[in-house]
Amino acid sequence: MKTNDIILQTVTKITLFVIILFSIYLFFTGHYHPGGGFIGGLMASGAIVLLLLAYDIEMVKAILPVDYRKMIGIGLLFSAGTGAGALLAGKPFLTHAYTYANLPILGKTSLHTAVLFDTGVFLVVIGVTMTIIQTIGESD
Amino acid sequence: MAFQILLNFFLAFIWMFLKTSYTPVTFLVGYFFGLLVIFTFRRFFHTRFYGYKIVAVIRLFLIFNRELFLSNLAVLKVILKPKLDIKPGIFALPTELKEDWEITILANLITLTPGTLVIDISPDNSILYVHAMDIDDIQEAIDGIKNSFEKAIMEVSR
Repeated sequence: MKTNDIILQTVTKITLFVIILFSIYLFFTGHYHPGGGFIGGLMASGAIVLLLLAYDIEMVKAILPVDYRKMIGIGLLFSAGTGAGALLAGKPFLTHAYTYANLPILGKTSLHTAVLFDTGVFLVVIGVTMTIIQTIGESD
Repeated sequence: MAFQILLNFFLAFIWMFLKTSYTPVTFLVGYFFGLLVIFTFRRFFHTRFYGYKIVAVIRLFLIFNRELFLSNLAVLKVILKPKLDIKPGIFALPTELKEDWEITILANLITLTPGTLVIDISPDNSILYVHAMDIDDIQEAIDGIKNSFEKAIMEVSR
């Protein structure tokens, strides 16, 4: 019997965006408060899993045509590249640089290369989680 | 379209509550992230991503400004010419636009650009009667309006 998922699907349409926004918040707050790339990425993939629960796998693939295996590679490149960038400046591997900048609208903002490293973590976590879940989901 | 904008505002306010900072800058940052998320999930909605529509409106505005400038120059040339050798005429302009506001905008754009003037619209809203100050080739004039204004308006309403 096919059940009608209209309530789940309608609620997903709104909550999905709130969860993704919360994962972005967790990602950016990681330097000064609890949060960071790992939990942010896990929360973002949690939102996509909610999408998978409400709709089927083909539908989610049509909404987000992302190759999650490539996402893992790009994430690793981000993290390794941030570490290798320090070598170019003549510092030991994984030395991070930071500065404070006065941006036009945002005002005084701290810029830190650890954010780029965290972006790599974020992408790898989403990629790994979604690869695991999709691989298990697709096998009969 | 309206739902997406409303959702974007909603997300911006949630961002402000998460940050516990109620400044316009936080709102802007939240709006930006909300825009990013909505763009990522743009295939999720039945309608197009609303950013495309805003770009289309801006493009229509720029096309109108360009046409206004160019046709004002053309009228200035005609006025300053010592010989009066213009050929005025009225022609029918078939339009594919359906909605009332689309036809109104098209008619106003044609009227505001000097050299042409909408006189009347047929009862079934399918033909605009346009008076042109100096007309060499009717088909050329029709194509000119169709390609610039009508296309840009369709881009907005699609």
